[in-house]
Amino acid sequence: MIVEGTHEFNVSATELWTILMDPEVLAKITPGVSKLELLGEDLYKTVSEIKIGPVKGAFKGKLEVIDKNEPSSFTIQMEQLSKIGNAHAKVEMNILSLDENRSSLEFAGKANLSGLIARTGQRVLSGVANVIIKEVFSSLEAHIIENKIA
Amino acid sequence: MTKYIGKSIKRVEDKRFITGQGRYTDDIKINGMTHGYFVRSPYAHAKVKSVNIDAASKMPGVIKIFVGSDIPETIAGVPCGWQVDFKNGDTMKEPPHPLLVRNKVRHVGDGVAFVIAETRAQAKDAAENVDVDYEILDAVTCPKKATEAGAAQVHADAPGNLCFDWELGSPKDEVAAALASAAHVCELDFSNQRVVPNAIEPRSAIGHYDSAYDKYTLYTSTQNPHLIRLLMCAFVLGIPEHKVRVVGPDVGGGFGSKIFHYAEEALVTWSSKEINRPIKWTAERSESFLTDAHGRDHVSNAKMGFDADGKIVALQAYTYANLGAYLSTFAPAVPTYLHGTLMQGLYTTPKVNVDVKAAFTHTCAVDAYRGAGRPEATYLLERLLDLAALEMNVDPAELRFKNFIPPFDGVEQEGYQTQVALQYDSGNYAPVLERALEMVGYDKFREEQAAQSNGKLLGIGFSTYIEACGIAPSAVVGALGARAGLFEVAQVRVQPTGKVSVFTGSHSHGQGHETTFAQIVADKMGIPIDDVEIIHGDSDSVAFGMGTYGSRSLAVGGSAIVNSIDKVLEKGAKIAAHLLEASADDLEYAEGKWTVKGTDKSVAFGDVSLTAYVPHNYPEGMEPGLDFNAFYDPANFTYPFGAHVAIVEIDKETGEVKLKRFIAVDDVGNVINPMIVDGQIHGGLAQGIGQALHEGTVYDDTGQLINGSYMDYCMPRADDFPSFEIDRTVTPCPHNPLGVKGAGEAGTIGSTPAVVNAVIDALWKGGFKVKDVPMPMTPERVWTAMNN
Amino acid sequence: MGHMIKVNVNGKEHSGGVEARTLLVDYLREDLGLTGTHVGCDTSSCGSCTIHIDGKAVKSCTMLAVQADGCNVTTVEGLATNGNLHPMQEGFKEEHGLQCGFCTPGMMMTAIDFLKTNPKPSEDEIRHALEGNFCRCTGYHNIVKSIQYAANKMQTSV
Repeated sequence: MIVEGTHEFNVSATELWTILMDPEVLAKITPGVSKLELLGEDLYKTVSEIKIGPVKGAFKGKLEVIDKNEPSSFTIQMEQLSKIGNAHAKVEMNILSLDENRSSLEFAGKANLSGLIARTGQRVLSGVANVIIKEVFSSLEAHIIENKIA
Repeated sequence: MTKYIGKSIKRVEDKRFITGQGRYTDDIKINGMTHGYFVRSPYAHAKVKSVNIDAASKMPGVIKIFVGSDIPETIAGVPCGWQVDFKNGDTMKEPPHPLLVRNKVRHVGDGVAFVIAETRAQAKDAAENVDVDYEILDAVTCPKKATEAGAAQVHADAPGNLCFDWELGSPKDEVAAALASAAHVCELDFSNQRVVPNAIEPRSAIGHYDSAYDKYTLYTSTQNPHLIRLLMCAFVLGIPEHKVRVVGPDVGGGFGSKIFHYAEEALVTWSSKEINRPIKWTAERSESFLTDAHGRDHVSNAKMGFDADGKIVALQAYTYANLGAYLSTFAPAVPTYLHGTLMQGLYTTPKVNVDVKAAFTHTCAVDAYRGAGRPEATYLLERLLDLAALEMNVDPAELRFKNFIPPFDGVEQEGYQTQVALQYDSGNYAPVLERALEMVGYDKFREEQAAQSNGKLLGIGFSTYIEACGIAPSAVVGALGARAGLFEVAQVRVQPTGKVSVFTGSHSHGQGHETTFAQIVADKMGIPIDDVEIIHGDSDSVAFGMGTYGSRSLAVGGSAIVNSIDKVLEKGAKIAAHLLEASADDLEYAEGKWTVKGTDKSVAFGDVSLTAYVPHNYPEGMEPGLDFNAFYDPANFTYPFGAHVAIVEIDKETGEVKLKRFIAVDDVGNVINPMIVDGQIHGGLAQGIGQALHEGTVYDDTGQLINGSYMDYCMPRADDFPSFEIDRTVTPCPHNPLGVKGAGEAGTIGSTPAVVNAVIDALWKGGFKVKDVPMPMTPERVWTAMNN
Repeated sequence: MGHMIKVNVNGKEHSGGVEARTLLVDYLREDLGLTGTHVGCDTSSCGSCTIHIDGKAVKSCTMLAVQADGCNVTTVEGLATNGNLHPMQEGFKEEHGLQCGFCTPGMMMTAIDFLKTNPKPSEDEIRHALEGNFCRCTGYHNIVKSIQYAANKMQTSV
């Protein structure tokens, strides 16, 4: 499953980088994530519950931030295991500075699914992934606005 | 004498099915029965680093969890029943297929642990808590890519993923020379995609060890209980066969996928002794998608050469055949002896060569699926013929008439010797196509096609096929690598009252044997059909059997019944002669009685049978009883043939293909029950058309089957088909007592290329000169073909 | 165990406890021993498990047993009355509408409900009505004829 897209934010590239590197922010904005525990440098243990349409499951796994190139790019490597199947994903994130107060996040990667989620309804899952990603960004935007006001 | 043969007698088995009293494996309950559930690999290729069952073992209702290392070394893996060696004489690569894997999984669905609990739900709950640590490895799913350098390796001892390579027919240089001198060469690269048999009853098995008798019973949804017993006892578990009973109760469709011996059968049987309780396992549909052997999956290139008159001068075919991760029971035979041997088709082609590379991949095993090899051969030939006709701008029907082998009956005229080993038994090919054209209204259709101007494209496609059925002469298949004989067994037991119990090794799972066989027995013995009972599917009641596949039940199993009846009547005549105080030679048997020729002195069948069991007034020295069996080993394959024609309409805007008409004229030899034969043809057509337009597996590049459910795999539905228009000609088989050829696979073999050819014809006539649209021909693919 | 339910199945009252997660089809097959209703898939696609709930065709794998509490259920075992086959059963036998018999009960239950709303269907309408029921043996050809047989028979018997 290919995931890709772009989203613009009303913060500078450096600010965006800082926000994205904060595990608490990541836990807060990612739908279903109930726990994001630091295991080591840039390595997190995750527990999440995803339910969208036919897809419902409790996922446990690891999330690792690699190939960090502050403030312009990093890669997220993820392994999520559940009873309904597993997901292994590698997504490259590119932060582009648009001007001092605006930046955009470009992401592109691939998620390999296995188990029941791979063979049942996979054709609708990229739609599911898009919904999740949109949620992530709107939460991120909300977080930015909240923090700016604060 | 034929009160029943040739008549559409309503099926005797229907009563139990329409009232909900069919008894399929999952319907069976045994006291103390437990339930099994498999932990299966979610990955196509991975190292199993650890399997932790601690948490799962403590869950409610769990009785036992077996992992790979629990299976003793004395238990071998699932065997393969056919050996096809490399061209250079090297032995076929035959890597082990363990009941549960220990170190490495090789396809999604590979069994890692077997959980046994009090209820199915508890077993499933526990299975979800078995913790397996995998190290994921690269996978390969395409048979051609699997043989390329750098491809992920399925088995360490099969370099290049090659199981074997194989070749049949004329020397390649002769074929090449003929092609070089041809006036026209039609070449096609194509694939015959993988499809899933999808019997609606998921596989199911119950193992029951009875310590009182030290005996195992396996109930299993199988097409051949005796073969399962043979393979499981001798090759897997090492249990003596007389200590195992295998029952194939009512079985909800097979289509090939239930021929094979599966790991689950051996596991429930073995485990039932380990826990000393019966165990039932029934596949979920999703599990069926991952573990029932699939069908087809060839990647091919073929060239057919024609002279200036349109006569075929040569055929060269190259095929990569996918075998999946492990060798299933008949897997090596399918792309070779059931495929290459059919490349002559119905044509007089003087030079034919077939070259096959069979490869392992990280996918579910591929084995016989309705037609098995013959649909792939027919697809290759018939696609080339219709495409060549378009390229040469000649009529596809005319092109076939020009190339048909002339008629031969196998009695007066010898059988036809092909360039690819087989000798056809009897054939008269032009009439099936003539009849089909007549049914189509061919000339009128072409006018209609030329005149069409409603945004739709009308097309017609042909397929004239031959198949080798009635599998098979044991000595022949033995020489070709079969590890079993392929005869069939019948026993005709006349009860004292003259009622007849017939035991047959041909299992029935929809084919209607209980009716067709009874028709034969009733007619041959001159008794009412209600006096005949057909018993099948239980290795403890039926002496032996090789099962149901390859359209063999009537040709081989039916012939065994006829031979048994002959023995019964021969002995009966001697008893009758004694009772009538006449010589057996002076008697004739008709309508259930022996009559002294030219007199009115007779004795009824029932009196003779009673005498056989109450032998007071009895021929001296003769054994009592009237009970005979016969082992029938056929002299040759049988060769049904036919002409299929599809008419399709393509919506230019959407690419949607509508199958408007389907005409099939088949010749399956003599017909015992026309209603049942028609039904077999209908079902076969639907599966063949399904492959052309709807079905096909999709594996992603990590080896995940991403359409492994009925929400994702397109099963053909009622509104995908028109009513079929079918007819038949009759060319009897010269070498079996019934003159029958077999009807189970005909529909599937002939129909697929007819539909695809019709789509290609429609596209050409609409100005889109494409050589191929890959199957299944979905609207998107057809639209793309028109808009590229 | 679990929840108490009371269901009338084929004219007979049954009551007992079921787990909340028990599917109706499992209740019928495992608890009541009515194995004529089959399970062919796990996605409510194949229709083998079709039964009637208060006269309406329902896939019994899409329903929990507890949801059938207080309902009248008819399964294939309840179609024949006093030993007389229902016209639909007769149609399937007369027109060779079944081969392996596995999809047959669900097919018949769907078709019976369909004929209630459309007693004189066209061939196309029949084929459309069977969209939710898979048959792998017959190519549907004779199933269509079986339903036409039943429709005619039910017309003439009214």
